[in-house]
Amino acid sequence: MLVKGKKTLFQDFYFFETLTGMIITLKEFFFGTKVTISYPEERRQYSERLRGQHYIKATNGVENCTACMLCPTVCPSECIHIEAGERQDKEKYPKTFEIDILRCCFCGMCEEACPKDAIKLSTIMEMSTSYRPIYDRAFLSEQRGNK
Amino acid sequence: MPKCVIDGREVEFAPGENLVEVAKRAGVNIPVFCYHPGLSVVAQCRMCAVEIEKMPKLQTACSTAATEGMAVKTQSERAIKNQKSIMEFLLLNHPLDCPICDKSGECDLQDQSYDYGSPYSRMTEEKRTYIDLDMGPVIVKNMNRCIHCTRCIRYGEQIAGIHEMVAIRRGNDTEITTIDGKPLQTAYAGNYADICPTGSLTLKDFRFKKRVWLLKRTATVCEGCARGCAMEAHAENNIVYRCVARENLEVNQYWLCDEGRFNFHYLHETDRVVEPAISSASGLVITEWKAAVDAAKATLKGRKALALIGSDLTQEEAKDIQEFIGKSFPGAPLLHFGTPGIHSAREDADEDKILKRKSKTSNLHGFEKLGLKGFESVPSGTEAVIVFRGGRAMLPKLPTLPTVGVGVFKKQEADKFATVLPGAAFAEKSGTIVNFQGREQKLVRAILPPGKSKALSEILMIWSHA
Repeated sequence: MLVKGKKTLFQDFYFFETLTGMIITLKEFFFGTKVTISYPEERRQYSERLRGQHYIKATNGVENCTACMLCPTVCPSECIHIEAGERQDKEKYPKTFEIDILRCCFCGMCEEACPKDAIKLSTIMEMSTSYRPIYDRAFLSEQRGNK
Repeated sequence: MPKCVIDGREVEFAPGENLVEVAKRAGVNIPVFCYHPGLSVVAQCRMCAVEIEKMPKLQTACSTAATEGMAVKTQSERAIKNQKSIMEFLLLNHPLDCPICDKSGECDLQDQSYDYGSPYSRMTEEKRTYIDLDMGPVIVKNMNRCIHCTRCIRYGEQIAGIHEMVAIRRGNDTEITTIDGKPLQTAYAGNYADICPTGSLTLKDFRFKKRVWLLKRTATVCEGCARGCAMEAHAENNIVYRCVARENLEVNQYWLCDEGRFNFHYLHETDRVVEPAISSASGLVITEWKAAVDAAKATLKGRKALALIGSDLTQEEAKDIQEFIGKSFPGAPLLHFGTPGIHSAREDADEDKILKRKSKTSNLHGFEKLGLKGFESVPSGTEAVIVFRGGRAMLPKLPTLPTVGVGVFKKQEADKFATVLPGAAFAEKSGTIVNFQGREQKLVRAILPPGKSKALSEILMIWSHA
């Protein structure tokens, strides 16, 4: 049960409470330490383990991926689409490798599941676009970072 | 019935039954590689060795017949140590190919390595490798993955009837190959891939197409011939990727012929008519359902019609058609067609000594039950033809009459038709078919009909109500 305390008319204005709050605000404004940065000019240092834009790691110019389909199997947002093919040297390779990046939730499970150390999440986190991007194989083959 | 005890569970068995089968019934899984219920027993892989009371050594369960009062321990310390050692031995030279191997996900070696093996390898030497040999159009061999279970050799000898696989050299260098390196001859080569417990023999047709755990499995029946072998259709996203044999001891045991196995390809062929079409000066033109049905009605109106029905349709569809013809075209003869030269169930016989039958359609015997007659020649006075067909039946040679086709047709076949109403093929519908033994079996739908095709009952509904 809610008990209403009795208040006088003066107390109803909350004069002192407002004043106390204002003093705190002004103290922080003039003498406090800043927690925000002016973003595009200033950048923050992020952890090396940040899960950002994907890429497929290559060794000696050949992508590590063998189209084993473990990443589309494990992906919770079902954003990876792979079609396997046979290369000239009879090896299995991904004919198409697409990531519907707007569906991706950057959980990093694809990276964890990959037995060939192929799919990687780089530390690049600025990837906004004005259209709906689908990362194709050529785009993913660009080497970003050293994970 | 005599009884024995397996892992403390009492089980009844038929005399002569081996321990693997008896244990399976008791709910105890004994791991096997070389044992296959459809083949002879060689006890070669030693994986199934179990401890039996009053016997000094471990015994292979596949080659030991159960006897009255036998007490078997499959999980004793010695048996488990043996399983672990055998797994390590078999994996010594096995490459870590699972990411690219087509067998991965349904591989006996993979599954049992998880269940009985060790996650670590002590092997530091280089693994033995082979140069691979082309094995013809059906099978791809990868000898590096082989564990020498010899199932393929025994299958060729005992089931396919051709002794074409052999093991050459001995010991570590054993290689499974064909005699003189010739391509495989048998028309039942797809089974090599089914029975191989590793990925050494895989289908060329299915190579790198899909990982097996992504496929949806539907238990259905093959429509390749009058035998009606039990089959599983594996599909994903409305595409059938492969068909594999399913066990049915009364009909096909564990096997399937290549003709039936690869028959599903016509479902996804690009020249299949999947939209209602009417003929024009420049061949078939795609239209709407309403317009196509109206055109079909106009084609047959006032003409003396002949109705042909492919014996690859189901019993339900045949019954629907009988009623439809009786109502819409009273007096029109309804005849079935399917295989050239086979007009009735009496002419159907075994084509070889394994599975194949002469009638290349699945439901010839069911149609005889419904009282349908075979098509031999066009009755005199016929002015128009309506053909119902499921996709497998061979179209007979027809004189140039106005023709309406209902069902699955290729573009070249339907080129001369006045109208085509696209229907569903065997994996796209459910129904009953009757095989040559009189056994009623169920077709089960695995995928949806492509494009604007509809099930036959739906087409007949549009026809009667439009």
